[in-house]
Amino acid sequence: MLGLAYDFDWGVLWRNPYGMYLLQGIWVTIKLGLIGWAIALSLGVLIGTMRISPWRWLRVIGTAYVEIFRNIPFMVQLFFWYYAGPMIFGTSLQYRINAIIGLNYYVAIIALGMYTASRVAEHTRAGFSSISRDHYHAALSTGLTHPQMYRYVIIPYALRIIIPPLTTEFLTIFKNSSIAMTIGVLETTFMSYKIDSETFHGLESTTGACLIYLALGLAVVRLMGILESRLKIPGMIGR
Amino acid sequence: MIQIKEVSKWYGDFQVLHNINEEIKAGQTVVVCGPSGSGKSTLLRCINGLEPFQEGEIIVDGVSVSDPATNLYKLRAEIGMVFQRFELYPHMTALQNITLAPMKARNKSKKEAQAKAMELLQRVGIPEKAHEYPANLSGGQQQRVAIARSLAMEPKIMMFDEPTSALDPEMIKEVLDVMIALSKGGMTMIVVTHEMGFAREVSDEIIFMDEGMIIERGTDISFFQNPKNPRTRDFLNKILI
Amino acid sequence: MFDAVVKNLPFLMGGFWVTVKLMFFALAGGIPLGILVGLGRISRKKWVYYPVTFYVNVIRNIPLILVIFWFYFVMPIIIGSPLDPFPSAVISFIIFEATYFGEILRAGYQSVSKGQIEAGYSTGLTYIQTTRWILIPIALRRMLPSMITQSIVTYQDTCLAFVIGLPEFIRRARIVDTMEVRSIQLFGFVAIVFFITCYIGSVISRRFEVKEKEGG
Repeated sequence: MLGLAYDFDWGVLWRNPYGMYLLQGIWVTIKLGLIGWAIALSLGVLIGTMRISPWRWLRVIGTAYVEIFRNIPFMVQLFFWYYAGPMIFGTSLQYRINAIIGLNYYVAIIALGMYTASRVAEHTRAGFSSISRDHYHAALSTGLTHPQMYRYVIIPYALRIIIPPLTTEFLTIFKNSSIAMTIGVLETTFMSYKIDSETFHGLESTTGACLIYLALGLAVVRLMGILESRLKIPGMIGR
Repeated sequence: MIQIKEVSKWYGDFQVLHNINEEIKAGQTVVVCGPSGSGKSTLLRCINGLEPFQEGEIIVDGVSVSDPATNLYKLRAEIGMVFQRFELYPHMTALQNITLAPMKARNKSKKEAQAKAMELLQRVGIPEKAHEYPANLSGGQQQRVAIARSLAMEPKIMMFDEPTSALDPEMIKEVLDVMIALSKGGMTMIVVTHEMGFAREVSDEIIFMDEGMIIERGTDISFFQNPKNPRTRDFLNKILI
Repeated sequence: MFDAVVKNLPFLMGGFWVTVKLMFFALAGGIPLGILVGLGRISRKKWVYYPVTFYVNVIRNIPLILVIFWFYFVMPIIIGSPLDPFPSAVISFIIFEATYFGEILRAGYQSVSKGQIEAGYSTGLTYIQTTRWILIPIALRRMLPSMITQSIVTYQDTCLAFVIGLPEFIRRARIVDTMEVRSIQLFGFVAIVFFITCYIGSVISRRFEVKEKEGG
């Protein structure tokens, strides 16, 4: 690079043992993202539905969940669950929990899932709200029951509205998985840092990590694009 | 057919309907007009139980709407409703829009429902659009599909909430023609609209509402030529050019 | 109950101050750069559009932590000497957040009706003048709620500078935690501070959203 005093060594990306580090890291990142997403989707849609339900206490719980989990930075949540979490269970359980091997990995997945769920909940709620009241009324006025209305009219419609923002969330969850490195989870970003600490070639290793995330991002967009085209309704505004 | 007795409704502290009294006989076509916010749309939604009301009683074909024992789903199947923005289900074709309720709410077979749907599409003049999605239909066509969708349940009463307000001028006629045919065929209809030409042709009674009250009623000729109430006169002046 | 917090309050709040400073510098650089990035994204000149689009799409797919790391390693090479965490973090944040503000503003620019721009040109204004006096102010006003939300995100993201050792709020909490091991108190405190400040921020953003709908 223009005569700077740095010798590039791109071999750190594949030479043993560094190549293995990176591969392991990628695998952990994928697991964090996919399992976290599964939690986030199921929990998030549930909470989003709670927020628009006719029962006040459900709405309150849903709103409280969303406000708490999105007004606190993810990293703070992660630290809280990992460092402070075991203490909540009292002194005896605390030691047993802390002794679990790979605790940071499990905590990271759950924290990631719960955090992302709050965002999924918001998208779900927005999706339902964007369907006009008259649309609900139109379905009911033909004699459909409430469950029938939700099943055949509202949910299929809402689903298609939510898919673009959910794609963004799916991308984000992979990016947020990198924050797990702060509690020592051996994912991609951590590994690139580890390679640097062993070889001092952090520039190459972080560039490699960047490329990995880019590739992941492309894969997610492609996947969601296929889903979107399968569900496409002629005339509904695409992206 | 429909009796509305001393009905009042509040949204929180705000009263939207004040002591409404009205009777609509079978086969009649009643037109409701008035400025926006006058409660006309709300009144329609009280009749088929989409909105609750705090005081009074509404009896539809012998059934009291506010009675907790009443099965509102069955009631709504007997009352068809057409909305200002058509509200066709965007993820279904015209045919599917029409057959959904008969199949799910009345357990008709697909064959039966589709046959009836095609007949209705024929009646509203667009049988060739059966397999089109709403996005590919013009406003006028969408509204006609919406009317067919309501008729599929063979209701005793049809209610229309400003059915042509969202349409481009050249499409208003095709929808009004369907409505006129329906009225002349003997359907009991309540129509909220500003289309006074329609009112003149088929209405048996015109009601003017303002601020949640019925200000004036008349059978059409007297209404247009000699409105008694100054507010009515004012309103008619504004909408009749 | 919060004795560990109270004991170390000056130290912790010093960290909070670093957090606020970082956010301030990140926004001071990120928003102006974002305004330009947004313009680049709607430019018809290919030599502007493609590089800017490339930059935006690459950065938006990479975690912020990695961007922070990357700059921490790159900066010393370019400058020839290692950088302090704070300047390194500021530069990373500016480059990162500018892409997000850029996309928000791009939507804002696209929402300005062509008629208004044409009105500007037809009164004799140049491209720069029209952009400066018509396009940008309207877009900014319209996207204000989103801009506030994104600023809150930036505020939350400052935690990530933890990884290059910046002594901001949560790092200091962690330092105290390793000594006192009162994790619930300490991280609970950090969480509460963030919660209150972010919640107030979102209330403000919502107020602007309502105003926007009314004023138009």
